[in-house]
Amino acid sequence: MAESRRKFLNILIGGGIVGWLASVLYPVVSFLKPPALPEANVSALKVGPVADFAAGSSRIVKFGRTPVLLVRLDSGDFRAFAATCTHLDCTVQYRTDKKDIWCACHNGIYDLMGRNVSGPPPRPLEQFVATEIEGEIVVSRLEA
Amino acid sequence: MISRPKSYLFTLLLTAGLGYPAVAQDVPEGLQEDQCVVCHTDLEALPENFVFDNVHMRPRMSCAGCHGGDRTTDDEEIAHAGDFVGVPTAEAIPSFCGSCHSDINYMRQFQPSASTDQVSQYFTSAHGQALRQGDENVATCISCHTSHATLPASDGRSSVHPFNVPDMCNGCHGDAALMAEYGFRTNQYGDFVESVHGTALLERQDIGAPACNDCHGNHGAMPPGIQSIENVCGMCHVNNAEFFESTPMAVAFAEEGLHACEECHGIHDVAKTFDDMVGVGDESVCTMCHDEGDRGYEVADSIHAQLVMLKSVQDSAQVLLERVQNIGMDDVEISYSLRDANESLIQARTAVHSFEPEKTGELTDKGVESARAAMAMANEEIEGFRFRRFGFGIATLFITVLTVALFFKIREIESSRAS
Repeated sequence: MAESRRKFLNILIGGGIVGWLASVLYPVVSFLKPPALPEANVSALKVGPVADFAAGSSRIVKFGRTPVLLVRLDSGDFRAFAATCTHLDCTVQYRTDKKDIWCACHNGIYDLMGRNVSGPPPRPLEQFVATEIEGEIVVSRLEA
Repeated sequence: MISRPKSYLFTLLLTAGLGYPAVAQDVPEGLQEDQCVVCHTDLEALPENFVFDNVHMRPRMSCAGCHGGDRTTDDEEIAHAGDFVGVPTAEAIPSFCGSCHSDINYMRQFQPSASTDQVSQYFTSAHGQALRQGDENVATCISCHTSHATLPASDGRSSVHPFNVPDMCNGCHGDAALMAEYGFRTNQYGDFVESVHGTALLERQDIGAPACNDCHGNHGAMPPGIQSIENVCGMCHVNNAEFFESTPMAVAFAEEGLHACEECHGIHDVAKTFDDMVGVGDESVCTMCHDEGDRGYEVADSIHAQLVMLKSVQDSAQVLLERVQNIGMDDVEISYSLRDANESLIQARTAVHSFEPEKTGELTDKGVESARAAMAMANEEIEGFRFRRFGFGIATLFITVLTVALFFKIREIESSRAS
């Protein structure tokens, strides 16, 4: 009787240790494995080498929860704005031919400083900062 | 030149407008040599509503710049002699203001890009035309800009600042006795403040929202006609106007003498739009013209169904997104997808003005796809949360079992040592 009780206890302890190890190791491994998505609250975002952006081109990058429109002007300078139209939150885009920022939803137009120039947008686009750091473009929020 | 009795009358009128408690030391720098300003301040005889910030109160302009007279003397008779003009008649005001504001060489000293066509525009307006016909009750420059509190339109205190324009226009257009002479309604202001435009401008203080002058014009103010109304609305609602213009409905409206946007959206009382405005329900504007059995009725019904479908899938996705946010799971990609769905809905609502179900359907289908993708991602996150919760339960169970087993094991070891 005592033998079988001891055996049962050993099984319980062994099983418990295995289960405990699994419950400790699983979150550790999950933590070490890079997540599929970037973290939501970002303060700066590396978007790629300068050479990847042709002059007069644009790209929308995900700055956490905020889509950001990154534009490389013909002059080679970079500008970044929240890609959210200030009218009804549609996503704006850079128009290479017209050299402006345009919202397809209601034909709102912003200039390349992000200022609303025609159509319904009531306010300018929120500005972000695009900086070149060691050949890479980094987008960050404009400090108040 | 004004006669002496009139000059005394003017002084009397000015003194009657007491109320500005200015004293000599109140005279701003740069105007202390200006005897008009000094005397009228000393006598507390500044005009009613006078403000020193008035754009005209600057050296070599001030009172004499408009009223004439001699600003260098404190002798009342000499000061009010010569080209002195007391209170100009309504008829004289446009040329009175225009003597400077229509002179580009003079105006460019202050504003290189100043426009100088205000007076000529004014005489194309309903106000200006009536004034030309001898009606002195109509608005002139000072009715809107004031006589002595003239401030730039960008100044929040200005009568012509966008936030103040509706009230300023209502000063005359809300006056039932005055408007009765012209057979005009007086409910425009009441309608406007309740409208989507009025709420945005006056309640939300959104400077991008239109005031009266944005649709009616400034100096050349006129009610927009049938030909121009869709262009007036189209200044802001560009896509809506473009869609509408390309439809057979635009031609039919013009033939029937109907005002494009106004027939469905109203005039000053433009309300926030909603999906049931389209379709065949009780709140539909389509059924004002279309009856069951005609093509327009079918089109309205199918466009409404498309919008409702997208909105309903979007709402379901929104509920799931909120659940994901409540349980603290990752919602970033779901939000992006839902944002795409919302954008499609906005575009479809605008495309309603094309009256083509194929066009709206393309957009609503895209939106439904985005909303469903958001739902799938949300469900995955919720499932992930359940898995974690289950895993936590299992881990807790294992730890509890381990603790209990260790307790018995220790007891067993202790009892075997004792024996």
